[in-house]
Amino acid sequence: MSKSFLAFGLAAGAMVLTCLPAAAQTKVTNEGISANEIVIGTHQDLSGPIKGWGVPVSNGMKMALEEINTAGGINGRKIRLVVEDSGYDPKKAVLASQKLVERDKIFAMVGPMGSPTVLAAQDILFDAGVLQLFPLSSAEFTFKFDPSKPQERLKFSNLLPYVESTRAALKYMKETKNFTKPCIMYQDDEYGKNVLDGFNQQLEAMKVQPASITSYKRGVSDFSAQVAKMKSDGCDLVVLGTVIRETIGAMSEARKLGWDVTFLGATPTNVLEVPALGKEAVEGLYAASIFEIPYEDSAKGKVKEWLANYKKIFGIDANTQAIIGYNAMMTFAFYADKAGKDLTGQKMLDALESGDKFLDIFNSPPTTFSKTNHLANTITQVQQVKGGRWVLVKDNLMF
Amino acid sequence: MRFLFKTDYDDDIRLFPHSGYVVSYGLLIAVLLIAPYVLSSYLMSQLVFVCIYATVGVALLILTGFTGQASLGHAAFLAIGAYTAAYLQKYNVPFPVYFLAAGLLTGLIGALVGFPALRLQGIYLVIATISFAFIVEEILARWESVTNGNEGMRIKTLSLLGVAVPRDSPAFYFLCLAVLVLTIVGTLNLLRSPTGRAFVAIRDSETAARSMGVNVALYKVKSFAISAAITGFAGVLFAHKLSFISPEMFTLQLSIEFIIVILIGGTFSLHGAVLGAIFIVMIDPFLTYLKDDMPGIIAGVAATFGAGAEAAANVQAKVAAFASLNGLKGAIYGVIIVLFVLFEPLGLYGRWLKIKLFFQLFPLYKRATFKRQKIYVKSERNR
Repeated sequence: MSKSFLAFGLAAGAMVLTCLPAAAQTKVTNEGISANEIVIGTHQDLSGPIKGWGVPVSNGMKMALEEINTAGGINGRKIRLVVEDSGYDPKKAVLASQKLVERDKIFAMVGPMGSPTVLAAQDILFDAGVLQLFPLSSAEFTFKFDPSKPQERLKFSNLLPYVESTRAALKYMKETKNFTKPCIMYQDDEYGKNVLDGFNQQLEAMKVQPASITSYKRGVSDFSAQVAKMKSDGCDLVVLGTVIRETIGAMSEARKLGWDVTFLGATPTNVLEVPALGKEAVEGLYAASIFEIPYEDSAKGKVKEWLANYKKIFGIDANTQAIIGYNAMMTFAFYADKAGKDLTGQKMLDALESGDKFLDIFNSPPTTFSKTNHLANTITQVQQVKGGRWVLVKDNLMF
Repeated sequence: MRFLFKTDYDDDIRLFPHSGYVVSYGLLIAVLLIAPYVLSSYLMSQLVFVCIYATVGVALLILTGFTGQASLGHAAFLAIGAYTAAYLQKYNVPFPVYFLAAGLLTGLIGALVGFPALRLQGIYLVIATISFAFIVEEILARWESVTNGNEGMRIKTLSLLGVAVPRDSPAFYFLCLAVLVLTIVGTLNLLRSPTGRAFVAIRDSETAARSMGVNVALYKVKSFAISAAITGFAGVLFAHKLSFISPEMFTLQLSIEFIIVILIGGTFSLHGAVLGAIFIVMIDPFLTYLKDDMPGIIAGVAATFGAGAEAAANVQAKVAAFASLNGLKGAIYGVIIVLFVLFEPLGLYGRWLKIKLFFQLFPLYKRATFKRQKIYVKSERNR
């Protein structure tokens, strides 16, 4: 063999090797699909610090499962859901994911709970070709993917990210209320940071200076210092990157100081518990939201039935978290159905990326994905507490 | 029963007192070496966590078990190790360098924590270490330019001398195992050196140790530094195994888990750290396994005892519903720990020694063999 031929051969070989990964297809598993069953898994926090989310979400998922299976399943296949408890511990989430992939041979991971837990465990799913669908985290990593890494195409998110929703709601408030001195009080964690980012980005886009930025540590219950500071800084709009107790605490504090100011909460404040527990203290609170919160007495048709059914099964009123869990499962079922009778991993991926619209019964904005976009939508609503209930102020908002 | 006749002073400090040790530990190592080629990666992951937890357990044993200084701040040392690795990895520092750097830095910080701890005893020392852990957690959340704040940091796949070592590969397991074995051997050596003897002397009686000429302050700081450094090494492995770290992962709860590792395992021997780590890491998957398989087994038993197919299915559904109750696992876990503290204060290794002795001395075993007989501690009890 001549030297030049050898060199050519080596060069060609090297070329092929370097091109291979780019041309590589996303590997999608076909495990978990049998003639009459689809096995899917999820890890939830059922006993840890955010079980207030994990339990209703898994309830909602189970309820959706019942409905799908009693209606005959997906193209004749029943869904079997394996739920593992992560206790919001990334180590347990890693082990739970490995168990689900290896022992239970799941086809997809649907609605896993929490940012650190999902992030620590996601590579296990991607390596095995298991889809990571609709995790309960609004962080960017749940949908943003690197096109050069084919396995990352397996992630899809249908939750409105905090940054986008905060920006859209803030923009709307500026247009209608024309505030000049916005402030923010946010929780000192990843969620609060996202709200703060949204706040800062939107203010920069609107060329408004923030008047005051304060934070609090998760778990505290006294907000007098923060509220007094914002009052003395002369804020006319307070954005709250808070959850339930802190929202009520901050607004009660403002009332106590006799400070009349507009509050705008991020999406996690838009839950039934805020007006139910806060009573008159939270009257007038605006919040960014994903979908209209249904009330049993005013709900109509399917939603009314759904609420009654949930209460019958679990003995408590449904909340936003339950709806999100229910929707995660229903969205999975919708696309699995679209993928057809001879369901495979590749067909499921194609169905998800086909751009077909999924509409839920709660009148949320439609869910669509494409080959380049794995985030369902960024359409935001603004709601307000009036007379102890959440009332829609404006929908279809973007920033 | 084997009788050891000591003919040399070295007989007192040999790592392997007789050939039985060589055979049994040799077998154990052989089993551990072939494990990744036999077991599923789910079990291998558990073993990796066992190695990491056991390494921290050994570190904590040096401090708590052998020097008598309690610490509820080891999650912070783990965090410092993990974050050092994550930060240096961003600047393409090779693994051996940041591995050592993480250990060194954590050891240094451990020594700094050791100084104020010199004046503190018992419960007050525990409070001081808890506050240290809170300070570290706070710094991790605030120092955004280095730690990326609450958003946490991703850790890239470990690359050792240019070869990628994915976190689920046998190579990563071997690395963790090697760190654990080296830690254990190093600690055994430490314990039979003057330093180790000084540690034990301080634990048993600080006053007696001082009057024998042990520099109590120096050795306490040393103990803190060594313990922290080992935990820092474990932190690097921990970060690589989880591939993502954020401040909320290194909380008081993790420190408590580490203390439980040595309490369950036994605080008087390094075996305790390993046994405790096996318990802490594997109890959860084991309970999960029971949750999945018990209903079927119980239904099978019911069927063999004459229950009809329908009744058996009914039993299975009932047991399954009970087994998947929220928080049941946590409750079982808690009960086991309470029972251990109540009935077996010497931990798993203590229980093993008792069982072994029972068979060696059969039928002459007497329970009083393991009674605590340290009367001299009484004078220092209230400090």
